[in-house]
Amino acid sequence: MLRIDRLDAHYGLFQALFELSMAVAPGETVALIGSNGAGKSTLMKAIVGALSVRHDGVQLDGVAIGGEPERKQLARGIALVPEGRRLFPSLTVRENLLLAARNGRQGPWTVERLLREFPVMEGFQHRPATALSGGQQQLVALSRALVCNPSYLLCDEISLGLSPLAVHEVYNLLGRARGEGLAIVLVEQNVKRALSESNRYYCIQKGRVVLEGQSERADHAKVAQAYFGM
Amino acid sequence: MQTSIETLTGGLMLGALYALFGLGLSLSLGVMKMINIAHGDLIVLGAYLCSTVMQALGAGPLTSMIVVVPAMFGIGWLLQRLLLNRVVGRGPLSPLLLTFGLSIVLQNVLQEVFTADTRSLQAGDLALHGFDIGGVSLGLLPLVSTLVSVAIFAMTAWLIGHSHWGRQARAVADDPATARLVGVDDRNFFALITGFVLAVIAVAAVLYGIRTPFSPTAGPERLLYSFEAVVLGGLGNVWGTFIGGLLIGVAQLFGAKISSGLGPFFGHLVFLLALLARPQGLFARNER
Amino acid sequence: MTAAVSIDAPQPAGPRRKALKLLLLGIGIALLVGLPWFASFSMQRLLVEVFTVFTVALAWNLLAGYGGLVVVGQHMFVGVGAYALFAISNKLGMNPWLALPLGGAAGALFALASALPMFRLSGPHFAVGTWVVAEMMRILALNSEWLGAGGGMPLEALGEFDRWTRNAGVYWAAAAVGIGALLVARAVLRGRLGLALMSVRDAEPAAAACGVSVQRAKLALWVIAATLTSVAGAVAYMNTLQVTPDASFSLNWTAAAIFIAVLGGIGTIEGPILGTLLYFLLRESFAGYGAWYFIGLGSLAIATMVLAPGGAWSLISSRWSIDPFGVRRDMPYP
Repeated sequence: MLRIDRLDAHYGLFQALFELSMAVAPGETVALIGSNGAGKSTLMKAIVGALSVRHDGVQLDGVAIGGEPERKQLARGIALVPEGRRLFPSLTVRENLLLAARNGRQGPWTVERLLREFPVMEGFQHRPATALSGGQQQLVALSRALVCNPSYLLCDEISLGLSPLAVHEVYNLLGRARGEGLAIVLVEQNVKRALSESNRYYCIQKGRVVLEGQSERADHAKVAQAYFGM
Repeated sequence: MQTSIETLTGGLMLGALYALFGLGLSLSLGVMKMINIAHGDLIVLGAYLCSTVMQALGAGPLTSMIVVVPAMFGIGWLLQRLLLNRVVGRGPLSPLLLTFGLSIVLQNVLQEVFTADTRSLQAGDLALHGFDIGGVSLGLLPLVSTLVSVAIFAMTAWLIGHSHWGRQARAVADDPATARLVGVDDRNFFALITGFVLAVIAVAAVLYGIRTPFSPTAGPERLLYSFEAVVLGGLGNVWGTFIGGLLIGVAQLFGAKISSGLGPFFGHLVFLLALLARPQGLFARNER
Repeated sequence: MTAAVSIDAPQPAGPRRKALKLLLLGIGIALLVGLPWFASFSMQRLLVEVFTVFTVALAWNLLAGYGGLVVVGQHMFVGVGAYALFAISNKLGMNPWLALPLGGAAGALFALASALPMFRLSGPHFAVGTWVVAEMMRILALNSEWLGAGGGMPLEALGEFDRWTRNAGVYWAAAAVGIGALLVARAVLRGRLGLALMSVRDAEPAAAACGVSVQRAKLALWVIAATLTSVAGAVAYMNTLQVTPDASFSLNWTAAAIFIAVLGGIGTIEGPILGTLLYFLLRESFAGYGAWYFIGLGSLAIATMVLAPGGAWSLISSRWSIDPFGVRRDMPYP
């Protein structure tokens, strides 16, 4: 169980998160819904170790892990697919994956397996990672996180700027990962998709949770209200 | 014509040594985005270290490398972990100023310990041998230096292109924040890089010390030549630094032919002109 | 819930405070001007050093702290200013005090010329690139018979003045340069150029998007800093009566400037003042220890960068919020 407990987060003097609490159970998919600047990416960064926060603000199976560096969180099974993909331009697709695989945990997701399941990726594995279309890059970025064999996968805006077909492919891969028991935290601006792909949801506004619930029974009007802050 | 060819080959071989000086600078600039002003002084430190080891063991300079290279690796590791890691990522100003202070400290410590006199590393008979190829005479030692330099460059290029460490280095050079996300341990990795840089400096220092008498204040000039090789070759390109070094070496020797005191000046001039013509360097990596 | 931030404009000084400030200023100026009548020659010469080193440090600090232009080769302007003064005065028989502005002009011209190759570099490349240019200048001067080669040149015109006049004159020139540099720096920072530079320092792309001509602002600063440095260099070597390539194009000038800026605080006006005082205090106390003095100085610089990168002034100003020169433009925090 990944638990966020009354978490505050700051960028210098600016406070981005205010006593935010949420939880993700093993195997479930949780959606984070909110407009730009609401604090979703900040929360992801805090969980994964890219931001300094209170030690017991983030807990994994009862153990306090907040504020520890990324590689430790990765070793514990928490991986982030960052906003904007952020593949390494000086590395090929294959090298991007190899790098992460070597630093991540051992498990069912290997570079070979991903290339096998996505012949398209196998085709461009030796190309510089950024010499690809947006959809292809997103697949690689997602694979790069998967290859670390996480238990909790954080996905920050993975459908942003992608064609509908590409979005479909990306969520296809995500679905397969979920099928193998992976817990997923999904940050999505597309509310419909966020709700359809998740078990539960949290609406975040100005660094606070303003609404939460079961995705199936979500009241779209209420969610829209929370999203736009009206 | 004969002596021009000898000047050319001599310049290339000197340049190979400058290239080796520059390799370390290129790596720390590329991966850690910082310039080590004490780089030249560390070369001089390596030479003095070798001299000390030679006296202690009664060995020749090349044999002493067995001790000097690992020792310098350790010094580099500690330097990065204890001092430089604290200022990396704070922008280019902090490391530059810190290493500036380090440069002053190093030069004066060396002066206190070893006095201001020049000395060189005695290579004995090795320094006297030479070959005659088609009427052009080539010294054995410069030839060996050049081969060592090429070998180290080739090894480094291979490591960067094909090893896990090389991938990490390229990733960190691209995007340090995301590199951390995929598990790169930058504190130890940077220490590894600086250790490697100092190991390369150690080899270059021994080759340099055999060839040229050195003194505690010889550092800054070495830094300038290293820097010129790196900038000429273009940032992010290992073999570019090699070519850059060759160019500086050749420019210096031809300049010295024109007027004996003006060797380094011509190196600086070539650097400046190349900069005017192509500011990003000859083989700059394209930014995507 | 955080309390509302109160944005008060800094209170303008009341009439009593203003009068006090003017009185102190007046006394200070009187002391400075009157010094040659009650101080020894060696004290005057030391003060010339203090003023000229301060000016070079202030210029370095302007470049690095406000312009983002860190240089390791600032000493190129010291030499250019000194040699220009000596050459013009010697070859044209001009009074050296009258020729001082020309020394500054030479620096400005050299700044424009050097900007051509140098501004193609950035960051650490720019820093070391300027060092290359300085080295080239040193070698050129060293190999130039017309400029006296290695031995350099004396300032012939100074022989026409008696010792008292000479010392006093150089001292007054140095004091004028030092105070003038401070005034120039303050004017720059409080004016449009300063605003442009600080916006570039804070967020360059944003500044460019607002229409700030980043290149022009940096070039203007480069020329200003060069002029200040050249005039300081010219006066400094009037003080020693002889200009040589190894001394006037020596890295030691930039090294001192860097130490002063680092110790005192980069990016502030108060920093170089504090730093210069610290520097000379240390020098007069410990220079007798030779290499150990430099080891100590270097270690101090390292320690400062690691522990207090804002320098001594940051330690002071973080405890008491003071802004004597009125150049700060930040909001007071609750």
